[in-house]
Amino acid sequence: MQETGTIRLFKRGPTAELRLFVFVLLALTLLVVDARWTVLDPARQAISVVLYPFQRIMLAPRDLVEHIDNWTDAAALARSEKEALQRQRIELAQISTHAAQLATENVQLRRLLNVADTVTQPSVAVEVLYEPPNAFSHHLVFNKGSASGIRPGMPVIDEGGVVGQIVRVTPFTSEAALLTDDKVSIPVQVLRNGLRLIAFGGNVSGKVEVRYLTANVDLVPGDTLVTSGIGGLFPAGLSVAQVDRVERDAATGFALAVATPLSHPERHRHFLVLRVDVSTPEHTQEALLHGSQANE
Amino acid sequence: MDRKPTNSGPMSSLGRSSLSALQPIDTSPFKRPSGLLFIWVSVLLVWLISLLPWRLWQPAPDLLLLVLAFWCLHEPQRITMLTAFFFGLLMDVHDGGLLGEQALTYTLVAYGAVVLRRRLLRFNAVIQALHLLPVFVLAEAATRVMHAWLAGEWADWDWLWSALFTVALWPLAEILLHLPQRRLDETDAGSA
Repeated sequence: MQETGTIRLFKRGPTAELRLFVFVLLALTLLVVDARWTVLDPARQAISVVLYPFQRIMLAPRDLVEHIDNWTDAAALARSEKEALQRQRIELAQISTHAAQLATENVQLRRLLNVADTVTQPSVAVEVLYEPPNAFSHHLVFNKGSASGIRPGMPVIDEGGVVGQIVRVTPFTSEAALLTDDKVSIPVQVLRNGLRLIAFGGNVSGKVEVRYLTANVDLVPGDTLVTSGIGGLFPAGLSVAQVDRVERDAATGFALAVATPLSHPERHRHFLVLRVDVSTPEHTQEALLHGSQANE
Repeated sequence: MDRKPTNSGPMSSLGRSSLSALQPIDTSPFKRPSGLLFIWVSVLLVWLISLLPWRLWQPAPDLLLLVLAFWCLHEPQRITMLTAFFFGLLMDVHDGGLLGEQALTYTLVAYGAVVLRRRLLRFNAVIQALHLLPVFVLAEAATRVMHAWLAGEWADWDWLWSALFTVALWPLAEILLHLPQRRLDETDAGSA
C-alpha cells in the first residue's frame, strides 16, 4: 500500500512539498511586493476587470429587489419628500435672501482685495458596488473607475460633507478609504476661529482624531471642522466632522480631540467624487495605500 | 472501522445470492471519482456566492476554502494547490487586501489536505473535520502573522471563529458534495 502510493506520487510529477514551496514562495513574494511597492497594480487591475462582470451578476438580484422596492414605495416616498422639501424651502427662503446679500458683499470685497474667484469642481456621481470584507480597513468600492475620470487621491463627498478619498482605481471600479480609516489624513480648519489642523482616522471606530494639539489649544466640544484647502487635494470649505471631546494629557503635554464625521457613508448608496487635479497619481496612490510610512 | 457507503450494495443483496455476499477486503480502490463537471460547477458556484456581502461578518465561514479543501482531499488530481492559489488570488483582489494573503491561506490548507489524505480517507467526516481544524487555524494564522508583519496591524480574533465554523461545515460538505456518488451507488444497489 505504502509502496504503490510512493510510485504514484513520482508519476504525478513534482511532489506536494515542492509545489507547496513554490506556491508559498510566490504568495510571500506577492505579499511583500504588494505591501511595499505598486508594481503589481496592473495585475490587480487586470484581475479586477475579469472579476467585474461576475460581481455585477451576483449583485444583480439585490439591485433588482431594491429597484422594485423603490418603485412600489414611490408614492409614499414622493409625499414624504415633498413635505420635507416644502419645510426646507421655507427655511431656505430666509437664508437665501441673507446669502444673496452676503454674496454681493463678498464679490465686492474680493474685487477690493484682488482675490481670484473660487472655481466649482467638476464631479462624478458614483454608487456603492460593495463593501470589501476586509478586517483591516474601512473601504467602499464604487461602480465607476478610471474610465469615468476617477483617479487615486480624489475626495468623495455626500450631502453631509467629506466621506473619504479614492485610494485605488481600476477601469470600472474605484475603492475609497473612509475618513475613519486610519490611513486617511485630511487638512482641516476650525469653522469658529480658523485654526488649521490635520484630522486622522481614529483608533476608535467611526471617529476621526486631531492629534498633538498644544495643551492651550482653542478647541471645544461642538466645534465644526471644515476642509482648509491646504495641500490641494480637498477643496476648501467642505464640512468634515464635529468635535465630541478634547482630551488633555498632562503626561505628554499634548491634547487630543475626538470628532464625529458629519457625512454618513453607511446610510446612502450615492456619492460624489470631486475631480480635482491629482498631479502625480503614482506617488499619490503609493502614499494613500501605505499610509504615512511610504512618505517618510 | 467506518466503511464507506460504497459497500452497501453487496450487503443489501445478502439474502438473494451467496456469491454477492462476498465482499472485497478493501473497498477503497473502487471508490467512484466525482464528475469533473460537478467538481468545477461546485467550486465556481461557491466562488460566486463568496462575492456576496455576507462575508462582511468577520466570523463567517470561508465556504470557498471549505470546498477547495474538500476537493483537494478527495480529488487531488483535479483540484490542486494551483487551483487553491488561483482562487485565493481572486478573493484577494475582490476583498481589496494585499495580493497573496488568501492565496497563502488557501495553498497551505490545500497542502494540509493533500498531506493528510491517506490518513483522512480512512475516517468519517466528523473525524476528518477534527483533523483539519488545526490545518485551517495554522493556515489562517500564517497569513495574519504575515499581515501583521507587513502592515503593522493585527485584526481581532474573529478569524478563529471563522476557521471553527468552516470546519464545522465539513460534514455538511461531505454530504452535499458526495450526493451524486451516493445516488449512483443507490441505483447500482437497486439493479443488483
